[in-house]
Amino acid sequence: MLEFAPICIYPVISSLVSLILLGVPFLFTSNGSTYPEKLSAHECGSDPFGDARSRFDIRFHPVSILPITPDLEVTSFSPWAVSLNKIDLFGSRSMMVFLLISTIGSIHEWKKGALDRE
Amino acid sequence: MVVRAKNPVHPVPSSIPVFRNTSGSPILLGPDLPAMISPVVHTGAIAVLSLPVVMMLNIQIAEIHEKVSRYPPVSGIIGLIPWWEMSLIPDNDHIPLLPTSISTNSLRYTVHAGEIQGWTNSETSGNSLHTYYSVRFLVSSLILSVAMIGATVLTMHRTTRVKRQDVFRQNAIDSKRTMMRRTTDPHLPTPGSAPTIYRPQ
Repeated sequence: MLEFAPICIYPVISSLVSLILLGVPFLFTSNGSTYPEKLSAHECGSDPFGDARSRFDIRFHPVSILPITPDLEVTSFSPWAVSLNKIDLFGSRSMMVFLLISTIGSIHEWKKGALDRE
Repeated sequence: MVVRAKNPVHPVPSSIPVFRNTSGSPILLGPDLPAMISPVVHTGAIAVLSLPVVMMLNIQIAEIHEKVSRYPPVSGIIGLIPWWEMSLIPDNDHIPLLPTSISTNSLRYTVHAGEIQGWTNSETSGNSLHTYYSVRFLVSSLILSVAMIGATVLTMHRTTRVKRQDVFRQNAIDSKRTMMRRTTDPHLPTPGSAPTIYRPQ
């Protein structure tokens, strides 16, 4: 398992970078120049009418869902690609059938208009 | 943080370290392919999918300050079940609890073929997955395509105010049939009547 040891560098560096970027601005703020009036929500002088958060529109949900199925297809490509010399023709054909079935799902998406701009 | 957060959006990013930790244990034990696939599946698919779902809950700020003290009785009883299950695992035959039980006449199984040419975990799993278990592998492709179709069906609705364009219908418009020809000169004002428009037959 020692070949996975370089992965341990990444959490260290990423958390270091994130913590530095988060923490350094605190050295340069001045806590004395903020007061509640300045920190409250701005609605052109009057009090805020309601909550500023609106509901997440369902039109944006396919944006997160639609790349997931090709992502899992690519993930199942990786054991296939490594073992191609052992699964001679039968194995590559089984993968092609896998791709065909996934393509049918993609065609349905395409025709329903899920891939359009809006 | 995943279980105890009050704002429902917090558990989704907080579950990312949880998935990282659960993928660390197969790495140490041997099967590295599931350990690498599990963050892809859990974080990249499950957390990414559930984040918009959680964001679609209509949470007002006042609901966040509801009383938390009504949850411990029932959830505490349910939460004791995994603790009880964990106590079933340390059994000296299966996992030695005390170091005195490591005896010298327990056999260690060494695969010597692996020292000549080591097959990686993805090679071995691809080897058997695509030959002996290929039908089950195709079942997984069916599941993926059903997921695609279901996601499209559930989230696409044409009742939004979005105008769509149909390119084929636009290309099929024939200009001879849709343009109208005037037979009177539109610049000369005819008294009392609007210029008449004749359509070609």
